[in-house]
Amino acid sequence: MSVSKKIVLLGHFGVGKSSLLRRFVENNFSDNYVVTIGVHIMKKEVSVNTNKVTLIIWDVEGTDDFTKYRPSYLMGASSFIYVFDASRAVTYGDLKYNLSHLNDKYPQVPVHIIGNKVDLVDKDEIMTALKAQDVQHSYLSSAKTGENVEQLFNDVAAQLLKNA
Amino acid sequence: MLDTLRQDFFNKTTQLLIVSRELKVVDSDQNLFSIKNESDITEFHPFFYSLMSVFEEAQKEHTFFCVQVEVLGKLYFLDIKTILREDGTLVVILNDLTEHYKTVHQIKQVRNESIIGFNITQELNQELEIQRSFKNKFLANVSHEIRTPLNSIVGFLSVLENTDITREQLDILNIVKDSSKNLVTILDDLMDISKIEAGKLEIKKRRFDFKEFVEVLGKTYQLRADEKRLSFEFDMNAKLPRFLVGDHLRINQIIVNLLENALKYTHQGTIKFRVTTDSQNARRIPVTFEVTDTGIGIPKEKIDSIFDSFTQLEKRGLFGGSGLGLSIVKQLTQLLESDLEVSSVEGEGSTFSFTVYMGVSHNQKREKKEKVKKTKSKNATGKKPRILLGEDVEVNQLLMLRLFVDQGDYSIDIAKDGERVLQFLDRQAYDLVILDLTMPIMDGLDTAVQIRSHANSKISKLPIVALTARTAQEEQDAAKEAGMNAYLTKPIDAELLFETIDRLLTRYKRKDKELSSTEEEE
Repeated sequence: MSVSKKIVLLGHFGVGKSSLLRRFVENNFSDNYVVTIGVHIMKKEVSVNTNKVTLIIWDVEGTDDFTKYRPSYLMGASSFIYVFDASRAVTYGDLKYNLSHLNDKYPQVPVHIIGNKVDLVDKDEIMTALKAQDVQHSYLSSAKTGENVEQLFNDVAAQLLKNA
Repeated sequence: MLDTLRQDFFNKTTQLLIVSRELKVVDSDQNLFSIKNESDITEFHPFFYSLMSVFEEAQKEHTFFCVQVEVLGKLYFLDIKTILREDGTLVVILNDLTEHYKTVHQIKQVRNESIIGFNITQELNQELEIQRSFKNKFLANVSHEIRTPLNSIVGFLSVLENTDITREQLDILNIVKDSSKNLVTILDDLMDISKIEAGKLEIKKRRFDFKEFVEVLGKTYQLRADEKRLSFEFDMNAKLPRFLVGDHLRINQIIVNLLENALKYTHQGTIKFRVTTDSQNARRIPVTFEVTDTGIGIPKEKIDSIFDSFTQLEKRGLFGGSGLGLSIVKQLTQLLESDLEVSSVEGEGSTFSFTVYMGVSHNQKREKKEKVKKTKSKNATGKKPRILLGEDVEVNQLLMLRLFVDQGDYSIDIAKDGERVLQFLDRQAYDLVILDLTMPIMDGLDTAVQIRSHANSKISKLPIVALTARTAQEEQDAAKEAGMNAYLTKPIDAELLFETIDRLLTRYKRKDKELSSTEEEE
């Protein structure tokens, strides 16, 4: 079975959404921060057991206010990946608020919460901060080192197949 | 004509396609990109997978702004509009706005980088603030824990000094006393550093007798230098006015630190203390203080580091002290809007100087010093004033008892917690209450609040003195807020304690008298 699924990367600007995508699709990383405007789309085929899923990944321009996302960008998404920067509290201070907005507008779309740039922080501190917000994250990752990047997208693909 | 213009301006930036439900290209005008008819549009770019959901939507038109599309190594920014036709095919309009979005990109790049930079700085500052606050809290706690036993050491040494002891015992006692005083100075230095770092140290300007202030310093250090067999030269410019306006306590702290350092590091030769001004007839004048010694000097490469906290020349322990003195001096001079200058030659000596601008007081007349009437007088009933002490630590109770017995002008009762203080007050008339802040059951602050809200005005108006090992400004503010009239820190300075009691009793009696006469008139 081969299916294609749209995944949207969401989050504040500068949290490393484009870096995660580049690490996953092209297996490379750059320390230079280049702002994404509008949307940048890449695809990659992932094998889950004997099945194949083509992930169409939309790397959408970052914003701190999810209500400002253009509905056309999120339309038809099978999964959202909410990326925050583990080294900047401002990017995860409003997780609850933004999650609640996504849940209201797109109740059928699962959200995976990813703390990126963990190579820069103490993981325990982040876990404590998320616990304080009562937020269950999926992965702590690093686009720089590649930590948990492949696993994240494979997990998302597996879940999409399961729900298909 | 219009067709030509359309050809020039629109055709170069717009491409029209018709796409089937199976995402096959039905037709394309090829204006921007070469997309063959019958080809799978998703092979041109993965964006077009999204057309599947466009076909599913009830809404007929959709616009996708600023879609990045890379074709043959060139990046395009397109606005893509889709319109669902009656025949079930989809019109796709690609509008090339690359130049426009490149400008937007540049603006957002600068904006986002600046916001991220600001966020990072803000979070680093918060982190530093947390660390600083932890350090200050830790220092305050350590200071409190050390001061409490130090209180009994220093206190009982004073008691011991007044007993019948031999000359040899007195010499030993003086050594222990000096060491204890050093320890108190180190604790004070630590607290000052943390106050300065927390921005809680304020400069308080007052009119003061400047000449007397400098002369006392000169005389004191003349004696100290004599003890060490050093020559001492003191010079004060005659042009200096007698009364100036400034923070004499902080200036004193700086000069004492500099003179103490000069004494510490000079083994032979001379210490010079000079106070000068360039100006005379102005409302604000610069006053320069200069301390020169013929001591060990500072190696050139170490001059910058001597102002760092905990830096001490030579091996630690050789000269004693915390190594905080010069750091405090440097920061205090900055608070006084001055700068500490240092010149030094290793093996020959050093000169430290700073210039502070001070206001010249309009009134240069010396007030006649009022003779302070000591309130050794008995109270209205002819008895000794009765003091109530709230203190839970037994050794501190013993010390206070001993100090009061030796002083002999007051009688004292001791309650071991705040609750008992209140019970004592209900049973017996007192003239003043002294409260330790840290007590079990009810602490000093709560006790003070209870006293101030007591129904009996004789009790609620009693003068209250805080006597505590806590030295932080916040604690002093809290004591004031709770209605306490004075704040004394441990180790107890017996002279200051009795001076404070005298002062408060005098004021209390005066107020009490005024109140009684008002009541009589009514």
